[in-house]
Amino acid sequence: MAKDREEVLFSFEGYNSTAMEKSLFRYIWTHSKRDQLFICFVVLLSQPFYFISLDLPRRIVNEAIQGEAFREGNVTAPFLQLHFDWPQWLGGGSIRLFDGFQVGRVGLLLGLSCLFLLFVVVNNGFKYWINLAKGILGERMLRRMRFDLFAMVLRFTPEALRTVKSSETATIIKDEVEPIGGFIGDAFITPVLLGMQALTALVFIMVQNVWLGLMALAVIAVQFTVIPRLRRELLRLGKERQLASRELAGRIGEVLDGIEVVHVHNAYAWERAEIGNRLFGLFSIRLKIYNRKFAVKFLNNFLSQVTPFLFYAVGGYFALRGTLDIGQLVAVIGAYRELPPPLKELIDWDQQRLDVQVKYDQVTQHFAEERLGPLIESEAEAEDEPLVGSLVVEGLGLPGPHGDMVVENASFSLELPAKVALSSNGSPAASMLARVLARRITGFAGRVSIGGRDLTQLPVSVAGRKIAYAGVDPIIFPGSIRDNLVYGLRFKPLARAEADRREAARRIAEAARTGNPFESIADSWIDLARLGLEGEQDLDRVLVGLLEQIGMGDSIYLFGLAGRIDPERHAALAERLVEARNRLRETFQSSGMADLVEPFDIDRYNDQASIAENLLFGVPISDEFSGRNLADNPLFRSAIDRAGLTDRLVRMGLQIAETMTEIFQGLPPGHSLFAQFSFIGAEELPEFQAILRRRARGGHDPKREERTRLLALPLAYVEARHRLGLLDDSLKKQIVEARSFVRDTLEKAEATGVEFYDPEGICMAAPLRDNLLFGRVNYQVADARHRVAEAIAAVVRELDLLEDVERIGLDHEVGAAGRLLSPQERASINLVRCLVKRPDILIVDGALAPFDEERAGKILRALVEHLKQQSLFMVLSNDRQITAFDVLIRFRDGRIVTEKMADPQRQAQGPGGETAQSIAGEVA
Amino acid sequence: MTLETEVQSLRQVPMFRDIDPARLKLLAFTSERVQFGAGQRFFSQGDPSDAAYVLLDGRASVLLNTPTGEIQVAELSGNALVGEMGILSDTPRSATIMAAEPTTALRIDKRVFLELLAQFPQMSLAVMRELAQRLERTNAQLVAQSSS
Repeated sequence: MAKDREEVLFSFEGYNSTAMEKSLFRYIWTHSKRDQLFICFVVLLSQPFYFISLDLPRRIVNEAIQGEAFREGNVTAPFLQLHFDWPQWLGGGSIRLFDGFQVGRVGLLLGLSCLFLLFVVVNNGFKYWINLAKGILGERMLRRMRFDLFAMVLRFTPEALRTVKSSETATIIKDEVEPIGGFIGDAFITPVLLGMQALTALVFIMVQNVWLGLMALAVIAVQFTVIPRLRRELLRLGKERQLASRELAGRIGEVLDGIEVVHVHNAYAWERAEIGNRLFGLFSIRLKIYNRKFAVKFLNNFLSQVTPFLFYAVGGYFALRGTLDIGQLVAVIGAYRELPPPLKELIDWDQQRLDVQVKYDQVTQHFAEERLGPLIESEAEAEDEPLVGSLVVEGLGLPGPHGDMVVENASFSLELPAKVALSSNGSPAASMLARVLARRITGFAGRVSIGGRDLTQLPVSVAGRKIAYAGVDPIIFPGSIRDNLVYGLRFKPLARAEADRREAARRIAEAARTGNPFESIADSWIDLARLGLEGEQDLDRVLVGLLEQIGMGDSIYLFGLAGRIDPERHAALAERLVEARNRLRETFQSSGMADLVEPFDIDRYNDQASIAENLLFGVPISDEFSGRNLADNPLFRSAIDRAGLTDRLVRMGLQIAETMTEIFQGLPPGHSLFAQFSFIGAEELPEFQAILRRRARGGHDPKREERTRLLALPLAYVEARHRLGLLDDSLKKQIVEARSFVRDTLEKAEATGVEFYDPEGICMAAPLRDNLLFGRVNYQVADARHRVAEAIAAVVRELDLLEDVERIGLDHEVGAAGRLLSPQERASINLVRCLVKRPDILIVDGALAPFDEERAGKILRALVEHLKQQSLFMVLSNDRQITAFDVLIRFRDGRIVTEKMADPQRQAQGPGGETAQSIAGEVA
Repeated sequence: MTLETEVQSLRQVPMFRDIDPARLKLLAFTSERVQFGAGQRFFSQGDPSDAAYVLLDGRASVLLNTPTGEIQVAELSGNALVGEMGILSDTPRSATIMAAEPTTALRIDKRVFLELLAQFPQMSLAVMRELAQRLERTNAQLVAQSSS
């Protein structure tokens, strides 16, 4: 039972639709017919109540107020009488279900009024439910559609991706389907409901007078045939607009991605003109749309108003002739008043339908079938046989970008596992073969098989596990370094995260209704057992080890020192942190380095820290306590007021402002020295000058806002660094005393914006390095930072904490596209991501480009060492590293030559063939 | 010791003598005050030139590498400027400077110094004047040597 459930939970089926339905309505109907029908049913159910509520006011007026029910001298009248009259053609007569209560006039009035109120409630209840249901239905379908589209994004073939723009695709999924979703709730229900209303009114008119009815019908027919025709142009324009705005989004994305080139080449004017022109194009299309749209609207309004004219003229004529009585005419005109609103809405609905269909067509075209790869098949337990045996390439032909053939009819075979170098002296052939092996190029001629298995026919799940490819552009997702490293290990979830069961059940039920996946990213996805690991800590150890082998150990250590410690996840380190802190202090003391670091001491002013740090004696967690916001923070202000510091600090602010305006005057705004050194930004300089001038003139007390500005300056002041000589011992003492005021005030107000230092505890808000030092490095001692760093490294090694520190380094955020990392770090992560999943075949295609030759050589040796039982294919730009490989595949003029390298253990041969020949030992 | 005293020291340096007080203050403010222990090196011969130093307090030895080891060729003390040629000519350090006793110096960062020169022509002129005077003295010495 439980097992069945698990299978259902993790089944991959259901969201792998091949391509989008061509027709929007079919798509909607396929996925929501049950809901649509049910809502329709409720709509029909609500109609009698609606009609009764329309009828009740008449009864209130006629029966109760005007007293029709009491006409025949009756004192009482029945209330809530239920009877049903059979129509004449069923024999007439009536059935009494309930005779009702006998009530007086006031009773009847109140009774009917209350009944009216009841029906108002019931009707609004129906309305509420219907709107809600339609809204939810629309949202569900929107979710399904967005997910279907995203599932298709994942299936874009490498070839199609060259023409697909990412920002365009993003707008499609985010914006363009939005109106479609809004329409879905109305897709079937609105026409049914409105059609019914219009039909009723029309039938009523017909019953009164066939000719007048036919006339109304004729006008409606004109409305329904002419107007859609006129709107066709509108649709074409709409399509054009959609494409243009999608391209605009695409272009903006491109400019942003390539902003560096724009800056470097001063292409601002060109880009501005480009976007300006696009906006003009969009505007012109919109203008045409408006012209057309309102012309159509005009015609439509005219047509619906022309019918009453016909009724008056023709109906009046009939009435004069006596073929129609006045009562009927009035009734027809009255009934016709009921006709236009639903008709208008119906026409609007039709317009919306076409509009949405156009949008839908545009969307489906973007995801056309020829752009999509095969379905990602359901994850049956993938076979676990290693990809070894003969790599046989037969008749390989690779088309180049200009339609020429980069490689033509090439064949070779070699035994895997092997270390294979691919060299082509500048032609793209080697890289292309690497991409063929990595299944990044699908459009090639010939056949490639490994161990008898056709490479192109390998299931995605097998290829994803067994083959790793590191290209020249390391693709790094935002998140931590760890997230990026384990990206290749997340094939499928193995165990559900122990989350709220009810919430999970709701999520899964919702996913089932919308064709979404049941898996949650909170589940545990990494198959540690397959990697032979026991827990996350083990995995971290492997990751750190691999990073060290690739030569990123130092970076990850430094990231670790700059990282924040989480006592829960890094329990071992957290326990020993204070010990390490004390050991470090002892090291400084014993080796005469005591002056390198000034420790945080609750009773002493720290000259190496800013006044703000000295006052808080802690690290701000929230923005309101950090930077300039601190000066404006009411809690902080009240604390330093109580400590009697505000005036002294404001005076100090004046002195700083004076010095800064003096020494930075004459530097152009935006000069790098401002940003690097000044307390005052270039743009603020005039304001501070004004404050100083006002002070010099009048000496009046500055206003609160002014005081806040001035106060912000000394808060950032570090005596040892800025050396303005503004702090004397008495002020330092006062600041140290103020610490308790600040802490008291914050604790009383239960503000959580600051984490206070504790010599015996960890400060989670501070980086690990600060936690180890528990002090500030002396600005004034030569080479202090370097020596302190060495001392920290020594203590970390001594206490065997290196790995723990590096594990924290794995939490380092990489930024968008890994921009917070150096190119070398990105490349290293790319390689380790490939290595950690232990592929049978690793293909390295330019991934070592960011490294210098020495480092690249080291990494190559590490890779060869690591992949003893596996295969390595590497694209080489020169022959210097060639000795590390078993086999060299060289491309010359579209031909492939394989060469066996010195190692006789491995077999490699070029099978006769005209395109391949064996020139053993040419290089070796 | 505050910024003011550093400015006083800078004023004693011939190269900076004629520079506006506000600029000298900026130069001092953008520099770092560093302390060297006895025997600690400011920099070693052959290092890339990344900063110039003005000795505020203490003494430092100028050492040259020779086949027989390092030899001291001069000693610097109060208000001496050292290392400026390296950052101006963008060449590696031509000598080693080592503190002879606990010494305090003002470290003028190369990038900041060049930025200031680029920004304030008056400073550049002062530096040029000093360099020209040095050249003239060297010429005079050469003449004196060759005529003797």
